[in-house]
Amino acid sequence: MTTRSLGQFYPVSSPVHALDPRAKIIATAVFVVGLFLIDSTAGLLFVAAALVALVAVSRIPAGTFLRLLRPVLFIVALTVLFQVFFSREGVALFEWGFLEVHSGGLRMGLFLALRILLLVSSAGLLTATTAPVALADGIEDLLSPLKKVRFPAHEVAMMMTIALRFIPTLGEEAEKIQSAQAARGADFSEGGPLRRARSFLPVLVPLTVGAFRRADELADAMESRGYRGGEGRTRYRELRFRVGDALAVALTLFILLVGILL
Amino acid sequence: MQNPGEGTRPGGSFAVSCERVSFSYPGSAQPALSGVSLDLRRGEYVGVVGPNGGGKSTLVRLLNGLLKPESGHVLVSGRDPATEPFEVRKHLGVLFQNPENGLVAPFVEDDVAFGLENLGVPREEMRERVARAVEAVGLQGYERREPHTLSGGEKQRVALAGLLAVEPEILVLDEPTSMLDAAGRREVLKHLGDLRFEKTVLHVTHHLEELLDADRILVLNGGELVADETPERLFSNADLLRGNSLVLPVVPRLALELGFPPAKLRTPEELAEAILARTQSGTRSL
Amino acid sequence: MKLELRNVGHIYARGTPFQVEALRGVSLVVEPGEVLAIVGGTGSGKSTLAQHMNLLLVPTSGEVLVDGVDAMTLTKSELRRRVGLVFQFPESALFAPTVEEDVAFAPRQLGLDEEEVTERVLESLRALGAVELATRSPFALSGGEKRRAAIAGVLAMGPEVLVLDEPTAGLDPAAREDLLALILGLREAGVSVVLVSHDLDEVAEVADRVCALHEGRVSAVGTAAEVFYGDPTRAPETVRVASLLRGSRPGIGHPVRFRETLDALRAQQGT
Repeated sequence: MTTRSLGQFYPVSSPVHALDPRAKIIATAVFVVGLFLIDSTAGLLFVAAALVALVAVSRIPAGTFLRLLRPVLFIVALTVLFQVFFSREGVALFEWGFLEVHSGGLRMGLFLALRILLLVSSAGLLTATTAPVALADGIEDLLSPLKKVRFPAHEVAMMMTIALRFIPTLGEEAEKIQSAQAARGADFSEGGPLRRARSFLPVLVPLTVGAFRRADELADAMESRGYRGGEGRTRYRELRFRVGDALAVALTLFILLVGILL
Repeated sequence: MQNPGEGTRPGGSFAVSCERVSFSYPGSAQPALSGVSLDLRRGEYVGVVGPNGGGKSTLVRLLNGLLKPESGHVLVSGRDPATEPFEVRKHLGVLFQNPENGLVAPFVEDDVAFGLENLGVPREEMRERVARAVEAVGLQGYERREPHTLSGGEKQRVALAGLLAVEPEILVLDEPTSMLDAAGRREVLKHLGDLRFEKTVLHVTHHLEELLDADRILVLNGGELVADETPERLFSNADLLRGNSLVLPVVPRLALELGFPPAKLRTPEELAEAILARTQSGTRSL
Repeated sequence: MKLELRNVGHIYARGTPFQVEALRGVSLVVEPGEVLAIVGGTGSGKSTLAQHMNLLLVPTSGEVLVDGVDAMTLTKSELRRRVGLVFQFPESALFAPTVEEDVAFAPRQLGLDEEEVTERVLESLRALGAVELATRSPFALSGGEKRRAAIAGVLAMGPEVLVLDEPTAGLDPAAREDLLALILGLREAGVSVVLVSHDLDEVAEVADRVCALHEGRVSAVGTAAEVFYGDPTRAPETVRVASLLRGSRPGIGHPVRFRETLDALRAQQGT
C-alpha cells in the first residue's frame, strides 16, 4: 500500500509547517473573513501576492499547489464568464451580436475569480502544511473552551484521531475485499451506473460489518486500557504556542488590513 | 513507579481469584462460564486452553471488568473488577488477539502513551515511561511509525508496550499470537518470555508449545474448569487432550509416542539427543 | 489442468519512488491432482504469487500458462472459475443474508442456471461440513464456521485448481485438522491444491511438492522430502528430528509426515 498521507498534506520541513496548528487554523479563519471584507481588486491582488510568497516559504512545489486548485477551476470559469457577458457596468469594450463585454464586467469577473481562488488556496495551504493529526490536535484545543457549554470537544477529537488512524486500514481492507470478490467472479466495471453501484454491494456490506466489529474490539481495548472519557486525562502530544506563532497570526491580520484599506 | 491515585490494598497472596463464577451472554441458551473457581498466585505463569467457545475469552473479560459475573466473585489484586474496573485495569493488562484493532492512535508512541493518558500521568513522566516500554519490546526507532505500516508481530509488540507502560503486575494474554505468522509469533513470544519472571501471567492459547514453561495449565471446556495440571501431566494425558480438542506440538507428540516424558523435550535437537542416549544406554545394558 | 508460471516477475508501483520488486523470475508448475505448498517468510512474495495464479495480479514480466495456453487469452471469468483463490481471512468478504446465498454468489456470477447453482451450493457446503449453516446469517457464525462458509463460496465455482492463502490462520486445532483433511479430500477428487503457508508442520502433513520462496525468488522446488531435507534448518519438526538422526541411522530414510516419521523412528529404535 503506497498511498500515505490523507488528502493533501505535503510532508517537507518549512517554517510554515513548523507553526503551531492552532495558529494556522486561526490565521486561516481570519484570512477567510478578511477576504470578504476586501472590496477592491488591488487589495485582493496584494493579498494574493502575499499568499504566493507564503506558498514559496512553505516549500510546496508550485505544481502540487496548483493541483489543489483544479477542482474549483470550473466554478471560477463559470463566474468569470457570467460576469463578463452579463454585466453592463462601465465602458462597453466589445460587442458581438447581443453579447456585450463591459469593463465593469471584466473587473468584477477578475475580482470574484481572485476571491474564490484565494479562499481555496488558504484552505489548501492549511491542509498542505499541517499533518492531519496536528490539525485534529489543533481543533481539539481550540474547541476545548466549549466544554464549558457541554460541547463534547474531547469526544470529537478522539473520533478524529481514531478516524485518521483507521482510514488507511479500511482502505486496505476495501482493496482486499474487492480482490476476494473479483476472485469469485465479481465484475465492477460492467453495466450502467445503477448496475455498477449494485455490484459494489459485495464490497460495501462486509466492509461496513467489519468496521462495526472493529469498533467493538477497539472499544473493548480502549476500556481495558483505562479509557473513561476525557475526565482526568492528560495529553502526551504537546502544542506549544511560541512567539513565531503569534507573529504569524499578527502578520496575517496586517496583510488583510492593508488589503482592506487598498 | 506508582500510578496516580494509588495506595496499597491488602490482597492476600492471590493476585487473581475467582469463586464459582458464572456468566451467560444475553440470548444464549448455554452459560459461557458456570461455577468456575480458580486462583492465581503472585508470580505464577498459568496457561488456559480448551476448544473455542469454551469460555476462555469470557474469563478474560470477567477479569478486567468488561463483563460482570451473574453469580460468584472475582478478585483482582484485592479489588472487584465489576465494581472498580478502572482501579483493576491499573493492575491487570490484557493483550488481545487481533493486533490491528487494539491500536488506537495514529503513531506508535502515541498509542503506547494511551494508557498513561487515561491515568492522568503528567507529561514528563509519560515520556519516560513510553520510552522505556518501547525499549522493552525492541521497537526503538519506531516511535513515529503509523500502525498500518507495521507487521503483525510489530503491532502486537506495540500493544504490549502500551500495556507495559502502565506497569500492571498481572498480564492476561488472550491468544496473542493466533493471528501472527511464524516470525511474528517468535518475536512476541520472546518478549513475553522476558516478562514472565516479573509479572503474574495468565496465557490463553491454542498453541501448547507456548505453555511448556507454565507452572500450571487450566482446561476450560463448555464453560467449566475441566482440569488444572502441570504441563507434564497434561501432555501425558491422551484422554484429556483428545476430550478437549487439544493437540500437542510435533516434538512433544513424537516424544510421547516414543515413550519419553513429553513436556521435557521441546526442540528437535533435544528429542534427537534423547533418542540417541536411550539406544546407547540400551546397548550398554545388554 | 496444468498451471504453469514461466519466469514471472512482478513489480509494484513501477516508476514511482515506492517501487517494489515482489517476484523475480519465478518458474513453477502445478501438476494436475497434486498438493503444492508455497512456503517462505513474510515478504517472500507468497501472496503476490498466489494472486498471479488467477491473474488477479498480472505479471510485469513472464507468463502464466493454463494447459500450455497463455492465461491472458482466456476470459477473466473462465480463468477465475478454473483457478479458485481463497484469500487469507476470507470470512471478511462474506456479505449475503444467508450462507447459501453467499455461497451461491460465485456460481451465479458464472451464469449457471438456478438448479445447477443450488446443486453446487449443496455440494460445497457438504464438502466443508457446513450444510447445517446454510440458512444462517454469515455474520452470526463463529470464526471457524465463517471460514468454512467462505471457502465453500469459492469451491462452488468448481475450480480445477484451488489456491489457499494461509487457510488455517487463526483457527483452533480441531478446525485446522478439518481443513487439512479437506485439502487431502480435494486431492482425492482430482482438484489440485496450492497451499500457501508459513506453517511448515502443517505443510508436512499434506504437501506432495513444495516450492520455497525467498525475497521473490524460488530458492528450492521439488518433492516435500527433497526440499525439506535439502535444508533441514528450515524444515518441519519431523524432518528436523529425522535429519539429526540420519547421520548415525541412515535407515531412517526421508520421512516427512508425522505418521511416517514416528514409524521410522520406532523401527530404528530396534524394538
